[in-house]
Amino acid sequence: MSSQLDVARPETEVVVDRPWITLVWNDPINLMSYVTYVFMEYFKYDRAKAELLMLDVHEKGRAVVSNGTREEMERDVAAMHGYGLWATLKKDD
Amino acid sequence: MGGFSKSLTGRVILRVDEVEKGLLVSLADQVCEFVTPEPRENADPLAAIVGIDMDAEFPDDPAMARLFPDAYPDDPEAALDFRRFTQRSLQETKLAHARTVLQSLSKSGEKITLGSGDIPSWLGFLNDARLAIGTRIEITEDNHEELADLPEDDPRHGMFHVYDWLTYLQESLVQLLLP
Repeated sequence: MSSQLDVARPETEVVVDRPWITLVWNDPINLMSYVTYVFMEYFKYDRAKAELLMLDVHEKGRAVVSNGTREEMERDVAAMHGYGLWATLKKDD
Repeated sequence: MGGFSKSLTGRVILRVDEVEKGLLVSLADQVCEFVTPEPRENADPLAAIVGIDMDAEFPDDPAMARLFPDAYPDDPEAALDFRRFTQRSLQETKLAHARTVLQSLSKSGEKITLGSGDIPSWLGFLNDARLAIGTRIEITEDNHEELADLPEDDPRHGMFHVYDWLTYLQESLVQLLLP
C-alpha cells in the first residue's frame, strides 16, 4: 500500500531485522563428547564454551548455539544436520 | 577389540578382526543404501544440479526423520521448503561419508589407517549408523540395560550390540580428536 502522504511522513519506526536463533535439542543417541567436538569444530567455540552448551542441551533439553540472520541460521542448522545433531531455527522472541 | 588409537607417528588407526571388518563394510553398505536419494522422474535438471529437490517430503520412516529432521518444527511450510533446498545435498554428504569409509576398508587389512581427510567421514558415518540403529531399537537414555538383557532371539538383541560397539568406536575416535 502506498500513497503520496506516506512519502512526506517522517520515519518514526525503525523496523529491526530481529535475529534468528539456532537451537540444538537433546537426544538419547549423540554422545556428549561428540556434541562438544561439533560445537568446537563448526562454531570454533573453545572447549569451555562448547562443554557448557553441550551440558545445557543435555540437562535443559536444548540450547541456543548461534544467532544471526535467517539465512545464516539456516546454514548453521543444515550444518548441524550434516553432523547428525537435531537442530532447528526460529525467530528470537 | 580395540577402538581408534594413535600410531607412534600420530596417525589415527583402527585395528579390527575379520568379523568386525565385515560388519563395518556391511553397515557402510546399508548406510549408503539408506541415504541414497531416490531418483526423480521429470525433475528439473537445473534444480537437480544445484541440489534442489522439489518433491522432497517429510520422511515416514522414523530413522529417516532422525537423519533428516525438520528445521522449523512449528512451521510445516517453511520446514518443507528447507527440506527441498537442503535434503538432497545432505543425503549426498552422508553418502560420501559412507563411501569414504568403504574405501578406507577396502584398501586396508586388519589395520586401518585414517588419513586426516578421512576422519570427518568416519565420524559422520559412525554417527549416522548409530542414529539409524538407535532410532530403530527405540533407544532412550534409560533403557540401555533393558536392551542389553533382551533374549538372543529378539531382533533388537543383535542390533543393540552393534550399536554399543559403534558407540565405543565413535567415543574412542572423538577422544583422540578433542584437544
